[in-house]
Amino acid sequence: MKKTLVSAFVLLLTAWVMFSCQKDPGSSTPDPSPSATPDRKALLTQWADSLIKPGYQRFDGKFAALKNKTTAFTTAPTTASLLEARQAWQQAYVEWQKVEMFEFGPAESVSLRNHFNIYPTDAAGIRQNISSGSYNFDLATTIPQQGFPALDYLLNGIGADNAAIVQQYAASAGHRRYLTDVVAKMDQTFGKVYAEWNGSYRDTFINNAGTDASSSLSRVINAYSLYFERYLRAGKVGIPAGTMTGTPVPEKIESYYLRGALPGQLATTAHAAVQLFFNGRSASQPSLKSYLDALGAKDSRTNQTLSGIINTQLDASYQKLNSLSPDLYAAIRSRNAEAVASYNEMQKAVRMLKVDMTSALGITVTYVDNDGD
Amino acid sequence: MLLPGGRLQRYLHTYTPAAPLATFRLAFGLLVLASVVRFWAKGWIAELYLKPKFFFSYYGFEWVKPLGPLTYGLFAVCGLCALLVALGWGYRWAAGGLFLSFTYIELMDKSTYLNHYYFVSLVALLLIVLPAGGYFSVDAHRHPARWHDRVPRWTVDALRLLLGIVYFYAGLAKLNSDWLLEAMPLRIWLPAKNDLPLVGFLFNYPWVAYAFSWFGAFYDLTVPFFLLNRLTRPYAYAAVVVFHVLTAVLFPIGMFPYVMIVAALIFFPAAAHERALQWLRRLLRLPIFAPRAPAPLVYGRATRRLLLLGLGGFFLVQMGLPFRYLLYPNELFWTEEGYRFSWRVMLMEKMGQVQFKVVDGATGQIRMVNNDDHLSILQEKMLATQPDMMVQFAHYLRDYYARQGVHCPQVYADAYVTLNGRLGKAYIDPTVDLAQEADTWRPKPWILPFDDAISGL
Repeated sequence: MKKTLVSAFVLLLTAWVMFSCQKDPGSSTPDPSPSATPDRKALLTQWADSLIKPGYQRFDGKFAALKNKTTAFTTAPTTASLLEARQAWQQAYVEWQKVEMFEFGPAESVSLRNHFNIYPTDAAGIRQNISSGSYNFDLATTIPQQGFPALDYLLNGIGADNAAIVQQYAASAGHRRYLTDVVAKMDQTFGKVYAEWNGSYRDTFINNAGTDASSSLSRVINAYSLYFERYLRAGKVGIPAGTMTGTPVPEKIESYYLRGALPGQLATTAHAAVQLFFNGRSASQPSLKSYLDALGAKDSRTNQTLSGIINTQLDASYQKLNSLSPDLYAAIRSRNAEAVASYNEMQKAVRMLKVDMTSALGITVTYVDNDGD
Repeated sequence: MLLPGGRLQRYLHTYTPAAPLATFRLAFGLLVLASVVRFWAKGWIAELYLKPKFFFSYYGFEWVKPLGPLTYGLFAVCGLCALLVALGWGYRWAAGGLFLSFTYIELMDKSTYLNHYYFVSLVALLLIVLPAGGYFSVDAHRHPARWHDRVPRWTVDALRLLLGIVYFYAGLAKLNSDWLLEAMPLRIWLPAKNDLPLVGFLFNYPWVAYAFSWFGAFYDLTVPFFLLNRLTRPYAYAAVVVFHVLTAVLFPIGMFPYVMIVAALIFFPAAAHERALQWLRRLLRLPIFAPRAPAPLVYGRATRRLLLLGLGGFFLVQMGLPFRYLLYPNELFWTEEGYRFSWRVMLMEKMGQVQFKVVDGATGQIRMVNNDDHLSILQEKMLATQPDMMVQFAHYLRDYYARQGVHCPQVYADAYVTLNGRLGKAYIDPTVDLAQEADTWRPKPWILPFDDAISGL
């Protein structure tokens, strides 16, 4: 037994030396330069420092403005302060589209999305909450009664026009309190996430650089493709356009109470954010694209790079989505076939991210033993 | 059978010490026990057999289902039988119990299929009939009449042959263009491990994936023969250890490497096994297991005939079964018709996504199915690339939605699959109502073509 172990060790060593030696004469395979080597830690660092943290920082700024303007509005409800609050809400909502996909780590553990953007909002429930004055935003039933969609109803849908809305808040302390509480809950929930990223989580994130089911890469890719599939493709277009049921339900659109240009702007902003996350801010920095290229991920049938195929598809999908602007709500009603086509185009991209890219990255999706698919 | 009559007769009457069977029994029993404990400790019993609402059964074994909370009892029985096999205590019954309980567990849900579970079942089946309980065992201690120090040589060789088949067929399966010419799937899997200490950086080089692929195929095809030969055996066994330890480090294949490392010990000569047992006797202070007067195991004529015929049949099936894929017209890796039970281990990187759509046969109303409302993550992953599971799930959905008040539910699958780095493509004909299709052994015409070729075995 001892002898066997020694021989085993010798064999391992020999194999290692063989591999190492073969490298020198093997000039046909060029030494991978640092940037051409798949380096997950560099990728995670880039994500944390150039996309996630700055993204949250920008959102934090817009959200602080929203908080100020809603406070001003509840303190002195006037048409002017309503318009300012509404504008701040729009800007924060647009900025939110750029960070909603980061639902992993701190955001996942507080269920950030549940507190921020589950729609259609439950207007009846909100009215009920306002009149009863008792509600707990940590309960699952209150998820559609808070966040940006609730603010949509509170700032845009609670009265027939601006004057009526202002009148409502001027007359009712319950309304003023509810608006304040919704913003406060968002502030508190996001505050935790933001603090963790600025604290120790950033290092935890970049140091978990493996490819198993609990690795940062695996979690990011899961969150990213889930976001694109369920919250962009289905939530913003598919469900309102009726692709799931065959019957359009345009009132399930994001920012239903304001409508106009905003729903389309939110959707295209989200789509652009997905593509930006794929390509990174600059071609010279690590990104999913450069990582896939370093892996040499190609369609072996056509020899095209996977990153190129994905970008072509994301471009096509963005174009289709953008063609539904400027009024997504109207487009879903009057040009439903085009909305369905936009959904289908996004579906193609979803599959490339979820299946082709995930496979190429070599990520494992479960902890359970697996001897080869 | 291949030997001339005289030599065959002589071979069948050759005797060998019983020690290899005893050490094999002991090591195998303990390993299976460890597997059961590990499976339990990881919480997989609940995750895989209690939580899901639906289970994918094997053709003809639809009656085998998890037993609810009693499933824990099933695993306990299995672990207990494994321990009794290791001790050689009520050996024949324990081996039977091990085979039945372990196989039942494996038949409960095919999404947990692993080649090494199949291997464990086969070995347990062999152990029922092999005379492994008569030496270095509780039985032999308690019933001196059951003690045998020598057994017919073919009883030991049966295990060697099974192990040889596992390796050799695993090697044959690697003789295909994806494995040898594209170094797939290792070219995907190795860079994902490039952060391993010492060797990780090597995995960034494609030639390393090629080296691993070619060495792996060569190893699988030849190692049984090198293990049989006295001169090459030590090196071959060292290779077994290195190879399997490497696969254990690189891939999430659980106990498989350890099972193979231990099982391959059967190739060592009886004297080595005897030494190991002596050492164990001293270590555990077990003088009671000390050898008695020599007593070879002699079978009655009828028993011997039955055993030999049974083993012959068993091995014929083992050698034929992996080739059943030849009866199917399309690419094996794509359709997976005839893929299981063939020692195809770590052969492909296949990933997919499948969206089921349920249509009301009367109103035409559409419902999209959330797979994860019904399945575990593992089941969902397996479902997405395996057509037989899609039919089974479609039938489940049909019945489920019928109970929900949908009239004559039609079930359609929109599936997309990537195989060994090829860009994914549509996998299942989305116009075929899978609720109407049956899962049989016939080719499934609704699997869309692969549009590529993988040549080889």
